Amino acid sequence: MHALEIRNLSHWYGTRRILNKVNLTIAPGQIVALVGPSGCGKSTLLRAILGTDPPSEGEVLAEGRLVTEPNRDVGIVYQNYSLYEFLSAEENVAFGLKLDKTSLISRFIALPAYLRKRREHLQMARDFLKKVGLETAMGHYPAELSGGMRQRVAIAQAFILQPKIVLLDEPFGALDEATREDLQLMLLRFYQENLKAKQRGERPQYTIIIVTHELNEAIYVADRVIGLSRFHTEGSQGAMVVYDRPCPVFHPDDPKDLSKFVEQREELRSAVFDPNYVKHHSKYVSFWDELSNDALAVAAMNSR
Amino acid sequence: MIRRPIPRWLVVLLGILGVFSLLAVYGGLSYRQSLVNEKQKVIPGLQAFGDGVTRMTAPQGSEETPKPSMLVTDLRATYWRLFLGTGLGVVLSVVVGIAMGAYRWIAAPLAPIISFLAKIPPTAMLPIYFVLVGSDQTMFTTMVALGIFFTMAQSVYQSIVNDVKDEAIDKAYTLGASDPEIVYEVIWKQVLPPILDNIRLQIGPAMIFLLAAEMLVGAEGMGYRIRMESRVLNMSIVYIYLCILGFTGLIGDWCLLWLRKKLCPWYDR
Amino acid sequence: MSIKKSEKIMTKKHWIFVCLFGAAFAGCEPSNKSTPNSTGSGTAGTSSAKPATFTLAWSEYPSWSVFGVADEIGLLNKEAGKLGELEKKWNVDIVLKGVDYDTCLQMYGSNTADAVCITNMDTLGPATDRASVAILPTSTSVGADACIAVGVNDLEGLKGKTTRGLERSVSQYAFERILIKKGLNPKDYPFSNMDPGAAASALQTGDSNVQSIMVWNPFVMQTLRDQPKSKKLFDSSEIPEEIIDMVVVGKDSLAKEGGKAFASCIVETFYAINQRMADPKTADKTLVAIGANFSSLGLEDMKQVVQQTRFYKSPEEALKLLSSEEFRTKTMPAVAEFCVEHKIVEKKPSIGFDSADSQVNFDTSFLQAATSGK
Repeated sequence: MHALEIRNLSHWYGTRRILNKVNLTIAPGQIVALVGPSGCGKSTLLRAILGTDPPSEGEVLAEGRLVTEPNRDVGIVYQNYSLYEFLSAEENVAFGLKLDKTSLISRFIALPAYLRKRREHLQMARDFLKKVGLETAMGHYPAELSGGMRQRVAIAQAFILQPKIVLLDEPFGALDEATREDLQLMLLRFYQENLKAKQRGERPQYTIIIVTHELNEAIYVADRVIGLSRFHTEGSQGAMVVYDRPCPVFHPDDPKDLSKFVEQREELRSAVFDPNYVKHHSKYVSFWDELSNDALAVAAMNSR
Repeated sequence: MIRRPIPRWLVVLLGILGVFSLLAVYGGLSYRQSLVNEKQKVIPGLQAFGDGVTRMTAPQGSEETPKPSMLVTDLRATYWRLFLGTGLGVVLSVVVGIAMGAYRWIAAPLAPIISFLAKIPPTAMLPIYFVLVGSDQTMFTTMVALGIFFTMAQSVYQSIVNDVKDEAIDKAYTLGASDPEIVYEVIWKQVLPPILDNIRLQIGPAMIFLLAAEMLVGAEGMGYRIRMESRVLNMSIVYIYLCILGFTGLIGDWCLLWLRKKLCPWYDR
Repeated sequence: MSIKKSEKIMTKKHWIFVCLFGAAFAGCEPSNKSTPNSTGSGTAGTSSAKPATFTLAWSEYPSWSVFGVADEIGLLNKEAGKLGELEKKWNVDIVLKGVDYDTCLQMYGSNTADAVCITNMDTLGPATDRASVAILPTSTSVGADACIAVGVNDLEGLKGKTTRGLERSVSQYAFERILIKKGLNPKDYPFSNMDPGAAASALQTGDSNVQSIMVWNPFVMQTLRDQPKSKKLFDSSEIPEEIIDMVVVGKDSLAKEGGKAFASCIVETFYAINQRMADPKTADKTLVAIGANFSSLGLEDMKQVVQQTRFYKSPEEALKLLSSEEFRTKTMPAVAEFCVEHKIVEKKPSIGFDSADSQVNFDTSFLQAATSGK
């Protein structure tokens, strides 16, 4: 079952067509980087996947279920306003558990049972926070946390519910370089957990679409890069996927060797960002074809 | 230099001096007025105040049917009306404000009406309220409630529009929230501090409105007493009542601030 | 951050000199404006000298709106510093303050006003603190105060039902006094405080809580006209010449330089307007002017109003009232006694006539001067 499937998605604003028949399938456990020039329609696509603005044409399916409104199958982490100011870090993370697993009325009527569940939720939240590297400051409010800590909490908050896929919308854009690198390493660790889960025959927990402006970040963190732009032969008809290729998987313990992805970065830049390079839109779309029987094949798990 | 800090003991000292100078100025005016007319009651001296206090705390009624003193009767009447009226007004405006903030189709018809009516000073609307609500005891409660309702509903709605971001609501849905949960867990929790602040701000106008109404109708209450005593120029009682109003206003302020700190510790960080 | 001393244009020493100089200059300014509160430093009483200033507080009521009309036609000028026709004659500067009745009382009681348009019983209160002289009775209520009810046909039916009116005022006086005069017990007829405007409004809109009101004009006439179900149970025509509207001047103000001229001017103004009301050429216009701010009643209604508030149109009529045995020995003392008994007033002031040294003094000298040809 695909974690996410986008079928022939098109979207108009008035008479202007922004997205043109976008097709995409994402398997569980993939970390997909989504790049593209400003204004190309990334946010429109993201909102369609999230369900807040359903597309004019086409469908979005999360693990087979049609997405028409925001729901617990698709998680989100925003760049700003990522947490609830009135909840502490651990309460923020436990928030999803509270909302999803208990009903509003039961919290008032069956109070003791609810309190018991809440203690469990808070413990789960604390464990997850430790996993994302936030041991101290669990009881602090977002206003007291640094930007990097806030984003860690937001990521924990999204993943603890185990949604089918999580969207990260430029999550590290407002952070300084050192913090950004720390958080990128965290995502790499998630990927390693995915690999281990697949070895055990389980469904990997971290399926991610990360939107980013940083090409280096895209190639570093993801195992698949997708580029969306209008710079193709049918450009007037709206943006399409013009790049969809695997990219090297980095191990968190390895040093960050930029030389490894110079070539792909240049290819990405010219394919997606160069307005003068007008090619057929499918020229660089070859992800599924490139899968071979090496470790990358494991990443495209299709359990039927 | 602007805003240069001064030592704390100086702050306290100047504060005390400020209060004392006010009392001294009053004493001076009172003395000067009594030189002009020694029996004047308009700026009463200590003696007159003493008499006033005696009169207002003396129990009324007779031996067999004792009634509480003027002061107790008035305080009880006015503050009970204020409490009920403000309570009702707050509840209504919070409910309507949140409904408007949560559902655009509710906000659309109500917002223009409410923001328009909020601009009209309630004391100017008194005659209309008299006609609409009648003149028995529940009138005061209803009038105070209506008087603060429009302004407060509008500010609750505005707080929600400003403070509750779309992202927060969308994210709550992705965390598995239902609509009622969003109203309670996201909207209500987020705007509770501004609501408490608004209550603090509205108590003043509510009191103004209540006193204005009491001056026209009824036989007890601080507004009534202030009007009656002013008519016969017993200003000592009037000034004491005004001081009481001032102090209880301050106390009310502190209580609401404390409440906000307790319920919303996150707000002041 | 702070300017170096050598660069300052004005050093501290300079500022001190400026301040001292300014203070000296301010202190030298001559204070030759006499206000009502100043202790009589007026100029000598020659007609070419600057006129003394006095304030009269009045409220919209038929026999008091006369003064507003006087300002409109130029007999008086309500502003300080400007003189109307009669002000010039008597060499006084009268400042007219048209405010609502309660404010009038407070202005008079706090010495902000020298004189006030006030009823005889409302004078009793302030008089215990400020000796007052009644110089001019303007009218008496013979029907201008009334008890109006809805759904009640007679006084028997009114028993037990609450009547609303302004406490400790003319309304309460009239209500209880008339009941007693009819041989009824006021204890059977509860009276509860309510502003007359609000009471009239409540009766007109059919508020079920308000069944009976005791109010004064224009509310009396307006209610009877606008609420068809209303019925007048009784009015002040049953107690003529007990409620007197008048102009009262503080004894202290009267004693000031120009005080007597002030009183005489007021008296003459009043009768001048009354003459206009009598003169067929100007009668209607004057009546309309008087009623302009008073109510929503038109000319015909105003004619009725000035019968219910019966003006003392000439000094002779006024004198007849104040000099009468009846008024001096029976009516006025009885009114005062009644007010104290029924807690309308706390203390009873001493009441005297002509040159008596009493807290409330009815001085007929100005009226007499007015009769003998000014």
